[in-house]
Amino acid sequence: MKWATRPGVHVDRAACAWLIRRFIDPGAEFVFPADLATIPAGATPFDMRGAALGHHQGRCSFETALEVFGLTTDPALEEIGHIVHEADLADERYDAPAAAGLDVLIRGLTLTSESDHDTLAITGRLFDGLYEHTRRQLMTGRPPA
Amino acid sequence: MGMSQADDWVLLAYRLPRVPSTPRSAVWRKLKRLGVAQLGDGLVALPADPRTREQLEWIAEEVTDHGGEATLWLGRPLDTNAIAAVVSRMTAAVAAEYDAVAAEAAVMRAADAVARRRAVARLRRELHRIQGRDFFTCPQREAARRAVETLATTDTAGART
Repeated sequence: MKWATRPGVHVDRAACAWLIRRFIDPGAEFVFPADLATIPAGATPFDMRGAALGHHQGRCSFETALEVFGLTTDPALEEIGHIVHEADLADERYDAPAAAGLDVLIRGLTLTSESDHDTLAITGRLFDGLYEHTRRQLMTGRPPA
Repeated sequence: MGMSQADDWVLLAYRLPRVPSTPRSAVWRKLKRLGVAQLGDGLVALPADPRTREQLEWIAEEVTDHGGEATLWLGRPLDTNAIAAVVSRMTAAVAAEYDAVAAEAAVMRAADAVARRRAVARLRRELHRIQGRDFFTCPQREAARRAVETLATTDTAGART
């Protein structure tokens, strides 16, 4: 399937793309049109103004995507939702100290990436690691060594 | 990162129903936290960069989600004197917040070690918040940062190591 989001991906779009590829559509193909009016036919938009998979009721797009995709029962994904929310919105709704670091790392990455595909290749690995770390921490109650 | 006054600004023109008042005040609180310049009733502006643009885009989305109207604009001021006044108003607001942090850090130097450590953590977070809306690298930033770091290295009440 085709999925569309704005170019210059940052944390919320990177997190959504990871979620889509890992849990929804392993063969996902991402395109980066500048606005909702120019997305290719059949592509599902996310983290764009006017998209169902966007910011709604104070949630960031990743949190909305967890709801829409029915992934809210995974506590590790919920925790990552809090981190992405704080990295993206910094409204202190959640206690997520990892958010500040994630924000800086992905912003820096977008400055040096050759393309949005290049960024997503790296952030995909980052979120794989964050998911594993969060899962183990939730299982043992302690951060994995 | 400083910005010159001639840079582009992103503007949000919005209208929300007066009732219910909760979405209106929620939107206003978010705009305040971003440090917007209020140019008129329902018209706010921020120096344009990808981040501020996105921040205002999502607030526009929130406005329309609540049955309001919102349009985003990218603009360059033609009136340099007027924009200088806007910038100095924004800077003064941020400077007052930095001054409050510096003053509190100075007061806390007399507190016991536990209270000092707590104050340092809280004031560092507060500085971080203020920096997010300090678009013109306000000179008070450095003084406030130094005051908090001095508090962090204060060993016994009132004295520095």
